[in-house]
Amino acid sequence: MARTAQEALQLTTLLNKKYKYFDYKWDLVFWVTALPIVAAAADITKLLFAGDWDFWTDWKDRQWWMTLTPFAMIIIPSALQYIQWLAWKFPTGFTYTAVGLWLVAWFGRWLQWDVFVNYPLNFVWPATIVPAAIFADWVLLKSRSFILTSILGGFAFTVGFWVANYITLAPYLQPAELMGRVVTVADVQGMSYIRSATPEYLRMIEHGTLRSFLEETALVSLLFGSTLATAGYWVGQAIGRWLAIWPIMRFMKKV
Amino acid sequence: MATRIEVDEIAPPRARYGPIDWMGGWKTCVVGSIAILVLNLVHWWYVSSHAWTAGIDASSPEFTKYFRSLVWIQLILIGAGTGLWWGWLVRTGRRIVAVKVTADEEVRRIAVFWGLVAMTSVTLYVMASFWPNQDGSWHQTAVRDTALTPPHIPMFYWWFPAGITMTVGTYLYGRYRLPKIYGAEKGFPWSFFFLIAASVTEMMQVAFNEWAHSLWILEEIFAAPFHWPFVLYGWLASGIFALWAETLIRLLGIEKEVEDAATLAKAA
Repeated sequence: MARTAQEALQLTTLLNKKYKYFDYKWDLVFWVTALPIVAAAADITKLLFAGDWDFWTDWKDRQWWMTLTPFAMIIIPSALQYIQWLAWKFPTGFTYTAVGLWLVAWFGRWLQWDVFVNYPLNFVWPATIVPAAIFADWVLLKSRSFILTSILGGFAFTVGFWVANYITLAPYLQPAELMGRVVTVADVQGMSYIRSATPEYLRMIEHGTLRSFLEETALVSLLFGSTLATAGYWVGQAIGRWLAIWPIMRFMKKV
Repeated sequence: MATRIEVDEIAPPRARYGPIDWMGGWKTCVVGSIAILVLNLVHWWYVSSHAWTAGIDASSPEFTKYFRSLVWIQLILIGAGTGLWWGWLVRTGRRIVAVKVTADEEVRRIAVFWGLVAMTSVTLYVMASFWPNQDGSWHQTAVRDTALTPPHIPMFYWWFPAGITMTVGTYLYGRYRLPKIYGAEKGFPWSFFFLIAASVTEMMQVAFNEWAHSLWILEEIFAAPFHWPFVLYGWLASGIFALWAETLIRLLGIEKEVEDAATLAKAA
């Protein structure tokens, strides 16, 4: 919508207004110091809702990893998308959270899994949501609607998640022979690096008759994952609206 | 309860740096955040240096020497440190809460407050991402024969309590140093209620976590339902965003007051 001359003048005046105390430092401090808690919230949500499928290459399956992980990983980006859109009309909440999560996830995998326990990083690499997050922010930018973003963005996020991470995962899905059986390279990793407190009977991948769907397996999981991601998007919206924004300048009455 | 009295104005204590200079009001943010990260890395170095040699068998004398002693040292330090800091904030706060302050001083205090919020943010990162990663790598690899495992000791008995120390301490700073935003007469802010509730309920969830592991499974499944409350309670920390908004609103008010005073002075 075109601005009126009066609105343009108001905006220009506001833009050129001289403040005594407001300078770039407030913005810088906010964007930098909010990142640790945002990234941590995204990481703990992913870890405790779907972490097992994110920790190991041989758990990154077509049944649980690609359905549960988008749900777990969309929640906090959605909350940030609401906050940043409300405050600045920036369609950046997903990307901001994704970059923070990328930093803390890789730092954690490197220091706590590789250096501390000696698992190779090509076995414990974390999934990325950066490309998926850019898609979801783009949907909000173009649609300016949280409802459309939850549906189309949820779908774009799930598909983006799968495509972006499949590039990294594909080499580990190549066939290999181990003790006379055909397995994947990821399975060989899983058997080579002993996880004595995560034995085989705890490995939850591709249960039931999933593999009877053959080439449709990934599509079925992607569609269901998108549905879950749409639900997760609204969990994040609830967090942004009621836990972050609603409390502003609200006080409990004294008894 | 303190009685509000009007006495001489308080100006910023150090004229050398302005209220929004990096080494003025922002010093708490820069130095405090770096200090927490350095302390955390020292903590990690200690645990990772001894975990595989002394942390495997909870009944061994080495475990007692390197890890049980660490629990007690941590609890004593965090308990004493928290008591001293909160006590100092309340004791000095009661003396100055009623004293009128200059705009420069109030802005400096808001910058310090943002510094404490930054330190809280870093602390919550350490407790909710840094150590849970070690918790995962250790408990999916090593046998669990105690609730006080090497990753649990720093995470649950230092950084989780540190979350309470920081959130409540930040509130006490706001209540006594920024009374126009968080003064007692306004009631208790919902923003702090959510943030403090996050840190307190996380600490309480530790008890359920250990009890649940002893009841259902000693091995580790990270997505186990009895872990989910850690996530749900963590979401309450979103109240931290309201703190930034509330103080910015006051900052705009101060700008307006300064502007109005300048206009009046010019007119006179």
